[in-house]
Amino acid sequence: MGAPARSRVELALSLGVLALGLGAGIVAFSLPDAGGYARVGPNAMPQAVAIALVALGGWLLVEVHTGGWRDAVPDDPAERGEHPFVFAAFAWVSAGLFLQMALIHTAGFVLAAAALTACVARGFGSTRVARDLGIGVVLGLAVFLFFVRFLNVNLPAGWLKPLLGGAGI
Amino acid sequence: MTETLQALAQGFGVALTPINLLWGFVGVTLGTAIGVLPGVGPALTVAMLLPLTAKLDPTGALIMFAGIYYGAMYGGSTTTILLNTPGESASIATALEGNRMAKRGRAGPALATAAIGSFVAGTIATVLLTLLAPLVVEVALKFGPAEYFALMVFAFVTVAAVLGSSTVRGLSMLFVGLLLGLVGIDDQTGQMRFAFGVPELMDGIDVVVLAVGLFAVGEALYVAAYQSRLPETMEKLSGSLMMSREDWRRSWPAWLRATAIGFPFGTIPAGGAEIPTFLSYALEKKLSKHPEEFGNGAIEGVAGPEAANNASSAGVLVPLLTLGIPTSATAAILLAAFQNYGLQPGPLLFQTQGALVWGLIASMYIGNVLLLILNLPLIGLWVQVLKIPQPLLYAGILVFATLGAYSLHQSVVDLATLYVFGLLGFLMRRWGFPVAPAVIGLILGPLAESQFRRALAISQGDPSVFITHPISAALLAATVVLVLAPWLWKAVRERRRGTDRAPG
Repeated sequence: MGAPARSRVELALSLGVLALGLGAGIVAFSLPDAGGYARVGPNAMPQAVAIALVALGGWLLVEVHTGGWRDAVPDDPAERGEHPFVFAAFAWVSAGLFLQMALIHTAGFVLAAAALTACVARGFGSTRVARDLGIGVVLGLAVFLFFVRFLNVNLPAGWLKPLLGGAGI
Repeated sequence: MTETLQALAQGFGVALTPINLLWGFVGVTLGTAIGVLPGVGPALTVAMLLPLTAKLDPTGALIMFAGIYYGAMYGGSTTTILLNTPGESASIATALEGNRMAKRGRAGPALATAAIGSFVAGTIATVLLTLLAPLVVEVALKFGPAEYFALMVFAFVTVAAVLGSSTVRGLSMLFVGLLLGLVGIDDQTGQMRFAFGVPELMDGIDVVVLAVGLFAVGEALYVAAYQSRLPETMEKLSGSLMMSREDWRRSWPAWLRATAIGFPFGTIPAGGAEIPTFLSYALEKKLSKHPEEFGNGAIEGVAGPEAANNASSAGVLVPLLTLGIPTSATAAILLAAFQNYGLQPGPLLFQTQGALVWGLIASMYIGNVLLLILNLPLIGLWVQVLKIPQPLLYAGILVFATLGAYSLHQSVVDLATLYVFGLLGFLMRRWGFPVAPAVIGLILGPLAESQFRRALAISQGDPSVFITHPISAALLAATVVLVLAPWLWKAVRERRRGTDRAPG
């Protein structure tokens, strides 16, 4: 990644802050006043925050156009003591989290946790899928039983409901 | 003074009940274990455990959280010395010398001076907290909404603008945090703001989801993408833990000096332990009779920063308990823990919940003793924790992180929000946006807004109330000076450089 790539990301993030401010502004300036004695209502703080975000987005843009963000994090991974971006690692961790969201209300907490564990471990370079799944099941089960039995926090039992003896939902 | 001692004695009565001793022990043990894990800091630990405490008694739960808070500081030094991957930014200074000592086979004395120094500094700082808190409470009782609002503005600006590498990126994160804090129902009018009809958003964005998303999910994504393929090297804990007479002679002045630096820095909004640890490191390097050893494992360079770290973490509790102002991300999450029980830290808490507050302070004396025992004779146990393979470590962190968020409402929406904050955390880490201002903005923003509106309600809408009250005016003026000073200084310096260069 050279300088142009860096400035593109900086531009995008600066515009992101600006857009967040504009979006917040649209909502904030349509809120009712209802100030009462204070003469400032529920819209005052949102408006101030929106204006500040627009200003900060603008400030970031100025920095992008005048030589890039100041005191930025080094672009070269070696300079940060890291290796270049590994997309597969990022994707496996993300996939684990999405799989958990998809499974938690059907397969239940324990199996969702096992899927999450296996995907995340894969993302961090583990190649022992069976071991990771096994550890995920054990960890998920321990957490499930501790929470449901001792802390009265209800977690979905899902497909394992017959095995878990009515614990959970 | 006698009143303070009476209150403290009452506090020991609370902290020494078997159940509260147990919570304190659980807290410091958990804190040490988690502090040892690379990539997990006290802020994340307290955030993950927040939803689980709904059914615990507040005194026990808060004693446990405080234990986690300073236990993690002790545990962090073990990781830094043996692994050279600082678990938290405050440990970077220790990494410079501690890891070098370990590489030269002196891991034992390095761990010992860190643990004993933390104990000495932590205990002295707790004494200072005990003496200082009632004085601050006296002053704070005179504060009205205008003064509180000015104080919060001061805290916001110092944490966001003055610390960190970039003023504009720090302020951006502060306002993102403030915006997130506005989501949900307005307490005073019942007006719905930024909820877009999503039921999960109507209660507001929970600090658990934000903090866990930024610290755990963001951290996991970042480490996976940029650090998971690095070779790991761990130093062996060989030889004795005993410090030689020479080690003691060189350590104890460093501990005391570091306490004197760390505690005051903790009490002001200076973002926690980062600055005092570096200051202590620089001071020890300057005063040392063996400056040539710095960079190769000088024991003062471990003793000082570690002591400063612990002294400042006790200092952080002064503004948190007496004024309700969090000055670090962890303190903001501790504030949220109080709020979960309907308690608002501040001068009134000392009057209405004296037993709880003093029990908490007394538990810190006990906790420091427990931590010294946990961290010296049992050090071998914590070294085992370091041997957990990285893939399983991060998988475990994410299981607990998602559990914390999911158990809030038993809702997948919270898990999706958690991932969004995780992506945000990834971008923030990669592109140099600080996390603490966002967390502090989310927690403290709604309080600042309500103080602002109360001040104006009292003054019938006259905004001059913020500058006619002397304390409020002074705080706002100090805020302006803090923001402008670096700019002015830079401008003056550039001008001077300009005249130097001018032909003459």
